[in-house]
This record gives sequence, C-alpha cells and structure tokens, in this order.
Amino acid sequence: MKLKTGILTVIFVLQFGIGKAQTLFGTTSGEVSFYSDTPLETIEATNKKTGSIINSSTREIAVQMKITDFVFPNRLMQEHFNENYLESEKYPNAIFKGKIKETVDLTAPGTYPVSAEGSMTIHGVNQPVTVKGTIVSSGSDLKLNFKFQVKPEEYKVEIPSLVITKIAEVIDVSGTMTLTKR
Amino acid sequence: MTRMIRKSLLILWLSGMISMGSVPQAMAQDDLLQMLEQEQSKEPIYTIATFKASRLINGQTIETVSKNHLNFWISHRFGAVNSGFLANFFGLDEAKIRLGLEYGLTDNWLIGAGRSSLEKTYDFYTKYKVLRQSNKFPVTITGVGGWAINTMETGYVMESGSEMRFNDNLERYSYWGQVLIARKFNENLSLQIMPTYLHYNKVEDPSIANDLLALGIGGRYKLTKRFTLSGEYYHSFADPGGYEASTGKAYPYHDAISIGVDIETGGHVFQLHFTNSRGMVEKHFIGQTVGAWEKGDIFYGFNIARTFSFDKGAKNKDK
Repeated sequence: MKLKTGILTVIFVLQFGIGKAQTLFGTTSGEVSFYSDTPLETIEATNKKTGSIINSSTREIAVQMKITDFVFPNRLMQEHFNENYLESEKYPNAIFKGKIKETVDLTAPGTYPVSAEGSMTIHGVNQPVTVKGTIVSSGSDLKLNFKFQVKPEEYKVEIPSLVITKIAEVIDVSGTMTLTKR
Repeated sequence: MTRMIRKSLLILWLSGMISMGSVPQAMAQDDLLQMLEQEQSKEPIYTIATFKASRLINGQTIETVSKNHLNFWISHRFGAVNSGFLANFFGLDEAKIRLGLEYGLTDNWLIGAGRSSLEKTYDFYTKYKVLRQSNKFPVTITGVGGWAINTMETGYVMESGSEMRFNDNLERYSYWGQVLIARKFNENLSLQIMPTYLHYNKVEDPSIANDLLALGIGGRYKLTKRFTLSGEYYHSFADPGGYEASTGKAYPYHDAISIGVDIETGGHVFQLHFTNSRGMVEKHFIGQTVGAWEKGDIFYGFNIARTFSFDKGAKNKDK
C-alpha cells in the first residue's frame, strides 16, 4: 500500500515536473534603438517600451513595439518619422516572431550565442529574417542582446529624393532587454 | 481496498494532467503576441500631427512646440493683389512683416513673442495643451492667452482711416484669450474651432465695444504627405449697426477669411496663402481686418517656420 502510494506520488510529481519545464520569460520595457549615419546627418532613436516574450521550452520568441514609442532628440524628426515615413497611424506596431534555432536550455544559467529565425513586420510589410544575438541566462532572468540591419526600401518606406542623402540606405538596429520569469 | 487505490490513482493522474494543462504545453507564436498585446495596450495612443505647425494661417492651432525646441517664424503679407501692376506689382512691392519666436517649456506648454510692422506691434503669448486627443478621448484642447502692445506714435491714422490717440501707455495694450478645440478625423482631415475673447484698452470710436467675442473655424486637408490645403475663418460678434448709427460711416472691419497651402520640407514648414487680413496678431486679424474679399482686397502672404532643437541629444546631429 505504502509502496503503491509512493509510486503514484512519483508519477504525479513527474507529470508536474514536465509541465513546469514550460517557462515563459517576458518584459515590456526592452530597449531597441536604430541608427542611421550619412555624411549629412546622424539619426538616432530609442524605444524603451518594447515588449518581448520567450517560451524557453519551444524556444519561440515574440517581440512587439509601438512605432510611436521611438523617441528622437529632435521631435520634429519624430513627428515626420511617424507621419511620413513609418505611417504609424496605419501601421502602429513593429513585430518580430520567430524561433531560436539552437537547441539551448535557457532555464540553465549560461551564455548562449543564438540566432532566431522568423518574420519581421514593419510598416505593414512582412519579411523573413534571421536575427543573431546573445542570451545570458541566470536561470530566472534572460538578458537579450541583438543587432541587425534593416533596409527601409525592403519595408516600402518611401524616402523622398530631397532627403535621400540624409538617410542611410542600411539602418543599424540594436536591442537590449531583460526578460524575467513569469 | 484495491478500489480505493484505483480511485486515488485516478485522482492523482487527473490532477497531474490538469497541472500539465494549466502550464502552456506548446505555445504558438501568435499566442505569445496576444499576450504581449494584452500587456502593452494599456496606455492611450495619442494622436500626433493634427496640424503641420503651431499656426494655421493667421491664427494658432492646438499644436505646441516640443520641450526645448525653438520655432522661428517669418511672416509676410504683401499688398493687395488688386493694387495694380505698374503701381504696386500686384502688391509684391510692399509687405507687412511679422518676426516671431516660440519656445517649448514642456511638450505641452510654449511661450512666444513677435513683432509686427503693422502698427509696430509687439505680441507676447502663451499656449498650453490641456487635453490631448487619443484612442480614449476625441479632441485636443489648447488654451491661449496673449498681450499686444501698439508702439505707434500717438495720433497716427489706422488702416480703417480713423485717427488713434493714446493718452497713456496702458491704452496701447490689448489682450486676447482663446480656447482651441481640434479633432483629427483621419490622416488627412483635421478641423478646429476657436472661441475667442479680445479686449482693447482703447478703441477708435466710443461706439465700438472694448470687449469683442469671436468664433473661428479652421481646418486642413492633406493632399499628399507633404502638401496640405488649409482654411481659416474668424467671425467677430461686433456691432456694425451701432457704429454706423453713431458715426454715419460704414463699419470698417470684416471677418477674416484665409485659404492656403502648407508645404513641409524637413525642418521647415512653408505656408502660402491668400487672406483679406494683413494683420498677423489676433487683435488685428480677428477684430480689425479692413480688407473685404468681395472688393478684391486680397493679400498674398507666407509664413515660414524653422524648428531648432536644443535637446541635449540633438547637438551636432545636423552636420
């Protein structure tokens, strides 16, 4: 009797254990910046309200941010960015959804160079992308660092000929975010 | 006994299953996005760029200047287009000029000052955005208060033909207050109403009241991303009958009607327009517009706004 109860408890705990391995990490205050540099002008903006969720068991990742949350040192530029370039009233969000290719256990502390394959949506245009980055796990926190490049042309962001020399053809995007266990 | 064991086994197994079910087994990416959406969508989304600039044509819009940003305004109103080719090159031989500066103390509060060549007038004003249109509120409401000082020599002749004498400096002052209410209906269309109160310390004739109420309506329609049509109309609730009865002359002032276009080129906004008012300060164009459209008193004019950022991060960015 006692043995049987013991076995049953083990079965129960095992089942529970499997369930618990599905861990979600998330944040709503990730930082994403972009940087455009030409001989005429340097344009830089940061979004400090980026949301992100990682499911460590399926290694799926989703990132979403509001275009209007990008803050520019020059507010007129910010207004033009929203109104004329990214058209943030029509396309309010930039989204990345993907999956980490490497089979890593993010719940185990360590530093993991990873690449996430998926799709990026900016300005209503969907493009397949692979983003490379590093995840530093403490077991309860994931520190995410990534860097990639975006061509405004690929996302149908129109740049008028008048300012074409002021905006880089390839824009550097970088991000830092700390995702905590849910 | 065995039955009891079976029963407890079943319960344990079930509770195990439930505990598994409660933790998402295979979360699809779209579910992750939905979770993000729920977490992020709490803040209201504010409407931006209801108008291109802080001025519509002659009057103000609900827009203010961002914190630590400076706007420099250069405005011209040329002579009447019906003033002849040889005599006045259709008005382009002469112009009334206003130079102005506006500075954003906060993102919602600006102070401004200007100097007009019309009646050598200095104007000072402040503008505060009280409420902002968002996905939770339908309109933006901005309050304006201003003070104008006429620095003409006493006994000068006004545009209306009346002679104006000042006995002391206080009589040179006039004040105005406005509540601007605007709504951006969609990407292209924005409309604004402007209830206005004006007070002149000294008026040209006793039959004209020192206090004047007016109601303005205006709007813009974007034709392309950088090209906008705009219009503005101020109706003043003056008493022309009282003036006519007391002086025997026709009331010299009309409602100001203006139409124009805004052209935006990065750091500049160009506003080109036709108006029946040569005044660019509220006391002039709302209360003392002498031109009448039907008589052909139409003045071509422009405003140029250049914005400078004094934000720390913006230094040395404009190479």
